[in-house]
Amino acid sequence: MVAAKKTKKTHESINNRLALVMKSGKYTLGYKTVLKSLRSSKDERMVEYLYFVVLDGKLIIIANNCPPLRKSEIEYYAMLCKVGVHHYNGNNVDLGTACGKYFRVCCLSIVEPGDSDILKSVPGDH
Amino acid sequence: MVKFLKPNKAVIVLQGRYAGRKAVIVKSFDEGTRDRPYGHCLVAGIKKYPSKVIRKDSAKKTAKKSRVKCFVKLVNYQHLMPTRYTLDVDLKDVVTADVLQTKDKKVAACKATKERFEERFKTGKNRWFFTKLRF
Repeated sequence: MVAAKKTKKTHESINNRLALVMKSGKYTLGYKTVLKSLRSSKDERMVEYLYFVVLDGKLIIIANNCPPLRKSEIEYYAMLCKVGVHHYNGNNVDLGTACGKYFRVCCLSIVEPGDSDILKSVPGDH
Repeated sequence: MVKFLKPNKAVIVLQGRYAGRKAVIVKSFDEGTRDRPYGHCLVAGIKKYPSKVIRKDSAKKTAKKSRVKCFVKLVNYQHLMPTRYTLDVDLKDVVTADVLQTKDKKVAACKATKERFEERFKTGKNRWFFTKLRF
């Protein structure tokens, strides 16, 4: 009973933190961009030289109904670049709702947390 | 956030004629170039893996079984699967970006990487790299 309550409370807090990131920070949604953000490097570069904005992932969140092969692939990439992965307690419909979107989100990558403290409070469980 | 698509990283090619082959990154172009405005890298990989060598084989047979056939290619990052393995074979002087312009330069580069790969295979190190990926 106590355990169930505790997960609900932390679950809500993750949702709150995600909402704050959506409002104030930078993020990308979707498998392709998550992998792109994991591949890119951290070096400071001149923005005008680039054709696109460089996104550099700091925390990855994966929904619980993500196909296992895709989940393992994202986890492996995250292991290689030492980025935390958080397994969201909900499926892609819930994760989309938590992001405030009307579509399903299976995985997302947080680039800049903005005002949120999600990077400190959600350490990422490998 | 650590960058991992660096030279000497072992990767697996996912698309194209060499899909499923293991390769090593020689040079990476993160920002891309004018012709290829996406992140890509120059890889040198194994086209034909060396066969299994057993103790019973004669020297001539061992030499024949340890042959490696190589390829050199520019591959998009999206078409590679990085691994946690590295292969530190010095290919920077042999495999450069201008090697892919003419056929005979490419053949010469492939021959040189073939020699380097074969001598590395004979020492018995990096055994994972020289085994075929089963799928």
